Amino acid sequence: MKDLLALFPPADFSLIGFILAMPLIGAFVNGVFGKRLGKDAVRLMALTAIGLSFVAAVVTFIVLDHQVDLSRSEVTEAGVTHVKYGHVRLSWLAWEWMRISGPRDASVPIELKFSVDALNGVMMLIVTGVGFLIHVYASSYMDKDKAYWRFFAYLNLFIFSMLLLILGDNLPVLFVGWEGVGLCSYLLIGFWYTKLPNAAAGKKAFIANRVGDFGLLVGMFLLVYYTGALDWQGLEAAAGSLVNTSDAHQVHLWPLGGGQFQGPLAILQPKTPWTITAATAVGLALFLGCTGKSAQIPLYVWLPDAMAGPTPVSALIHAATMVTAGIYLICRLSFIFVLSPATMMVIAFTGALTALLAATIALVQNDIKKVLAYSTVSQLGFMFLGVGSGAFVAGFFHVFTHAFFKACLFLGAGSVIHAMHARVHDDERSQDMRNMGGLRKYMPLTYATFAAATLAIIGFPLTAGFFSKDEILFKALVGHPVHPQAAKLAARNFPVFAIPSWVGPTVYAIGVAAAILTAFYMVRCLILTFFGDFKGWTVGRPSMLAKHEHAHHDDEHGDDDDDHHHEEDLSQPGYPPHESPRLMTIPLIILGTASLFAGFLNPGFLKGLLHWHDIPLDHWLEPVFETATAAIELPKEEALHSKEMMSTVGAFMAFAIGAGAAYWVYIKEKGKPARELIQKVPGLYQLVLDKWRVDELYDRTVINGADALSETAASVDQGIIDLVLARLSALLVAALGTLLRVFQNGVVHVYAAIMVVGMAGLGWFFVAPHAQAEVKAERAGDYVIEAAPGLGYTYRWYPDAAGKPQTETFGAATQIKVNVEEGKTKVVRLEIKNAFGLTGSKDFTLTRPKAPPKPTQLQLGQNAVPSGERTN
Amino acid sequence: MAAKTSTPAPTPSPLRPAWVGPAFTALVALIALVAFSQLGGRPAGSSPTGYSAATALVGSMLPALAAAVVAGLIPASHGWRVRVPIGLMAGLFALFISRMWPGADAVIPEGEPPPESTTLLSWLVGLPLAGAIAILFMPRQAPRLLKATTLIVMLGTLAAALPLLSVDMGRGYHFNQDVVWIERFGIHYHVAIDGISLWLVLLTTVSTPIAAYASFGSIKTRIKDWCFALLMLQAGMIGAFIALDLFLFYVFWELMLIPMYLMIGVWGGANRIKSAIKFFLYTMAGSVMMLVAILYIAYTYGKLTGSPSFDYFELQRVLHTRDVQVWLWAGFAISFFIKVPMFPVHTWLPDAHTEAPTGGSMILAAVMLKMGTYGYLRFCMGLFPEASAEFAATLAGVAVLGGIIYGALCAWRQDDVKRLVAYSSVAHLGYVMLGLFAQTQASTEGAVLQMINHGISTGALFLLVGVIYDRRHTRQLDDFGGLAKPMPVFATMFIIATLASVGLPGTNGFVGEFMIIMGTFVSNRLGHVNGVQAVGAAIGVILGALYMLTAVQKMFFGPITREENKRVPDINARELVAVAPLIIAIFVIGLFPNLLLSQMRDAVSRTLGDVSARVESSPGPRYYQGPTKLLKRSASAPPQLAAPAPAPAAEEN
Repeated sequence: MKDLLALFPPADFSLIGFILAMPLIGAFVNGVFGKRLGKDAVRLMALTAIGLSFVAAVVTFIVLDHQVDLSRSEVTEAGVTHVKYGHVRLSWLAWEWMRISGPRDASVPIELKFSVDALNGVMMLIVTGVGFLIHVYASSYMDKDKAYWRFFAYLNLFIFSMLLLILGDNLPVLFVGWEGVGLCSYLLIGFWYTKLPNAAAGKKAFIANRVGDFGLLVGMFLLVYYTGALDWQGLEAAAGSLVNTSDAHQVHLWPLGGGQFQGPLAILQPKTPWTITAATAVGLALFLGCTGKSAQIPLYVWLPDAMAGPTPVSALIHAATMVTAGIYLICRLSFIFVLSPATMMVIAFTGALTALLAATIALVQNDIKKVLAYSTVSQLGFMFLGVGSGAFVAGFFHVFTHAFFKACLFLGAGSVIHAMHARVHDDERSQDMRNMGGLRKYMPLTYATFAAATLAIIGFPLTAGFFSKDEILFKALVGHPVHPQAAKLAARNFPVFAIPSWVGPTVYAIGVAAAILTAFYMVRCLILTFFGDFKGWTVGRPSMLAKHEHAHHDDEHGDDDDDHHHEEDLSQPGYPPHESPRLMTIPLIILGTASLFAGFLNPGFLKGLLHWHDIPLDHWLEPVFETATAAIELPKEEALHSKEMMSTVGAFMAFAIGAGAAYWVYIKEKGKPARELIQKVPGLYQLVLDKWRVDELYDRTVINGADALSETAASVDQGIIDLVLARLSALLVAALGTLLRVFQNGVVHVYAAIMVVGMAGLGWFFVAPHAQAEVKAERAGDYVIEAAPGLGYTYRWYPDAAGKPQTETFGAATQIKVNVEEGKTKVVRLEIKNAFGLTGSKDFTLTRPKAPPKPTQLQLGQNAVPSGERTN
Repeated sequence: MAAKTSTPAPTPSPLRPAWVGPAFTALVALIALVAFSQLGGRPAGSSPTGYSAATALVGSMLPALAAAVVAGLIPASHGWRVRVPIGLMAGLFALFISRMWPGADAVIPEGEPPPESTTLLSWLVGLPLAGAIAILFMPRQAPRLLKATTLIVMLGTLAAALPLLSVDMGRGYHFNQDVVWIERFGIHYHVAIDGISLWLVLLTTVSTPIAAYASFGSIKTRIKDWCFALLMLQAGMIGAFIALDLFLFYVFWELMLIPMYLMIGVWGGANRIKSAIKFFLYTMAGSVMMLVAILYIAYTYGKLTGSPSFDYFELQRVLHTRDVQVWLWAGFAISFFIKVPMFPVHTWLPDAHTEAPTGGSMILAAVMLKMGTYGYLRFCMGLFPEASAEFAATLAGVAVLGGIIYGALCAWRQDDVKRLVAYSSVAHLGYVMLGLFAQTQASTEGAVLQMINHGISTGALFLLVGVIYDRRHTRQLDDFGGLAKPMPVFATMFIIATLASVGLPGTNGFVGEFMIIMGTFVSNRLGHVNGVQAVGAAIGVILGALYMLTAVQKMFFGPITREENKRVPDINARELVAVAPLIIAIFVIGLFPNLLLSQMRDAVSRTLGDVSARVESSPGPRYYQGPTKLLKRSASAPPQLAAPAPAPAAEEN
């Protein structure tokens, strides 16, 4: 350990660089050279990369553990001795990325910096560990695919991005990973891109995620503005300014940005501006990001479609790792989220409602992957329910256990699909549970692991899911996030949002309802797939079957030959479905085992029951959530205990009711009640089967709206802007040209006529007198007016227009000098007579400003505006 | 015609006579000499005389060399009776030009040796200009010679531009050269670069050879004219970026307009004439307004000091009142907004891009649009800081609504890939303008970086669209589909460029957009709506993904619906070589933006400091009131050529 620490000091823990670099190298090698390397080399490269990364992650974890042990201290409080650990980080700075402007022109450096602490240390192990298992599985599952290399390049790239996301020490680096996993998800969902729905699903996922990323971006600039930092430690230190009560620290929603409506618009001005605290704005913006990535209402719609990708991708990205990034972000920034009880409530409700909504949809789906997808959405809802109620450890613990059992379920489903593919090549039909059944007999390992994971997800006592879900429901019932300065602010009459007391029990009730549905649909899924009789095709006796029929079709997903493979005649007897190869079953066994036993890392239920104090995960994560947990109000010890029993009973009942009902419907009655119910309410069934038609709703509103908007923009661009600026001005020029062309017609008569008109005009000009003069200002109120010369002009000046002329007769004096008093106005008249004896006159009004501070020429010149004219 | 690169001719082509070899070697040697003399322009510790000796050598030999080269280049079918006179003429011409060349040396501050070359920037303009003239003397029938000459000149310019990087830019201007051109009007040949124009010059020198190289595959007619236009265009663009005399700037500004007009009009698509005229008229309308403003401001300076000047640093000193400044600012700004282009004067861009040939589109997008944003940063913000600050909030609204959001919405509706990319340019340049309007350190740095980024990623996109157009002779999205299968490498490149354009973190586009958005929110120039504008800009991030990915999906994914698309050949070596530097740059800038940012940081902070010093020191509603007067010369301005004019009469009163 000493040597290890000498090599990698905690402040410069470059092993993180190794963890990150391995998958990147794997992605690069496989992506660039993969096509020439061949399958074995690609597999070797991909597995080695992730394997080494996992080993390094374990070493990092051991070092971290050692450092945590070093920080152990014992604190005695009120006679009870607590063991406390410090918040230890191992960090590594790669290089400075850029610098952005903070508040008051401060410069905020954005560094490519990474750190590992208790929270992302666990996450890192999940990503590399479960990631490795799924890589192993995929190396066999994708064996027949021609773009094997491309698949593993993307998969390695995904692991890299995911590690970037969780190891990043600041929000921008997290954002790189955040978008990076989105990109990999996009590429992998559309992996078989020759099928249009796959490509469309990929795009949908990317864009839904982008909507979330928008929230994250907004959250980031709000954070920079209010706290001047984006790294975890800086944010934690400056988080207090988010709840500053000064007006500058409120986000003005209406009028936008804190403006003021005036004039006729004043009607829009509310009496008091609508504001929210910066903490709420930041929290909601970041949470929008989380709903995108972690598939919550309103952005969950992409996840079920994402099942178009290969099954290992669904297991890795869309169940175990990427989709939990939102919960990770909330845990990571828990100290910010707890500053706003309103945000916490929104998170808890969103989570609860998503859990329930997705569970209802999962009840009726027939596609095994769709069931699991909605189940994932629902489980993610549980996690948000947990963190929204302030149960950060519990929520994160559910991420941990969920990674095992959901990965196991997806891989199990993949194993089943793999078997079905032997004869059913159509994706939709090979994933349809109505074509399965009875697979328990043919695929015992898959069945066993799938069943173990099902037990975990439905919360069978003492399995992993039981502990984590129970903990979440319990905390939802009792936890009550409170504004950290509520008492202080209330004393100052500052309005503080407090979560009503009915919220906890309501959220708990929704959670229990969702748990009942979970138990029902998962057991239904298990029964339809593995129990009863096999319905895919007639299973013949092996001796009667031709040898070649058993061969797997190369083109099962081959993107490289698009020939439409002919569908087999399934009425002919065929080989029985086969168990998957060992490379696929070993990961299943490991994950299945973990689903059963991982719960003992944090058995919150037993803690109360057996009075254990030192449960591993809780203690491990305590320093991370220290600030956040302080803001969560819990009832007194005795009340807590009774409520814990109540909530545990509730969770157990949920499991029992859901699973029992499914057993009764699908085993005892062979699905008859379900069929009868469908016949009774066909409309409702269809609605739920169509996922409550939320997709269609979005299509009609958001998508169509944006479509119409862009249609309008494009036609405005062509029809109005281009029309006015280009065509209209061209038309004007053309019209002018047409007009002038009339005169340039080459007809001598016309030219002569124009000449005559011109001559007449000129003649008139010379005959008419033009009394014109230039006013010049000199210093101290003196003005000189100089008349313009003309043909035979003589002049007569009136120093005052109302008075007498300077000279009675017209003379040769071309200028007059006038003095104007301060603040006075004088009108000077000029009369002229030209050679033809015609006279004309013009008045000049001279105004001298009243006592200018320092009269200079230029100012006088500006103010003494000659005005008034009366020419004949 | 040009021999196909795929089938090397075993025997020398009859169109490539024997003299080509030696002549070519001579040309290469000449350019190499120049490039090396520049590369070694700043030997550490050695005296600058050695360097000028080399320059002098080249200079004195120039007429003879020109005569020999031109005489040698004339096809052998013409006898000496043709060669000698033409050679003689060329020599005389060269002599004439070298005599015309401003003889006065740049001002050197006393006691200090010149820290850097004063003629380097002139070489950057002069090389392509000389190349363009050399092209005129080459036979039209030797396309390979013309193409090679163009490329070599461009690469020589690139090599000559490299020493620019050896200098730490800091706050000031470098490679300053200031010589009197037309004394009577105070017009100087004044060029210098700072940390901002440095990158734009480099962008130009990098992207023009790429555009030229890429275009040689698809341009089959009038190759001589094409090469000439390319080189003239390059000279004009580099000149406009380095000019610090407003008259000179205007000359270069117009100089680059004409070759581009020809490029669209001669080698463009079906509607090329209409688009070319539209492009020309739009840009010209703006330029004329700028010319009037330039003349007025120089005239005002003349009235104040007794002698007019077009020098940027001198004109910066003139303090105008609001009513004057707003009009002058508008004259410049409208001209720049048309070039950017900003809503609502953007409609020339999609037409110009759609009709322009690939090389033209690339240069137009990569460099020429930056002329508008650079001009706004340098001239509008530098000369009229108060007006730039006053209108920043309103214009930022236009940039967000009319640029980022409206441009993206329009792009979404386009069926023609080139039109789509053109509208995406409107959106991207909306970000750049927003960054400039916000006037914070991060947003302005981000804006300059985004200028470079847009040049790289949009340049790459236009290049790639050109590749597919050469193969399929269509750009309609509906004509494609499933192309990822026959063209995997092409698809990969296209998707990388798309993601850079969308602003995926890790690529260059992200860094620029991120800095702009972050800087916008902390800006205090935008009034109380800075938050709204930052949110608007962030919405653009969603829309960007929407239209680009829709296009990518329609082009590359899904089943192949058309028979012709089944056997489209993948990107070939020439195209790959052309696009590779851009793809590499996308990642390099995305991961190490500090390479660029560290050089421009101080220059940006000086520019913004100048603006806020003026804006905050002015009384009243941020404007100077009272008679027009001169300020002190800015400390960061490079040394002046002549002693300052005698104290102006106006100040005495």
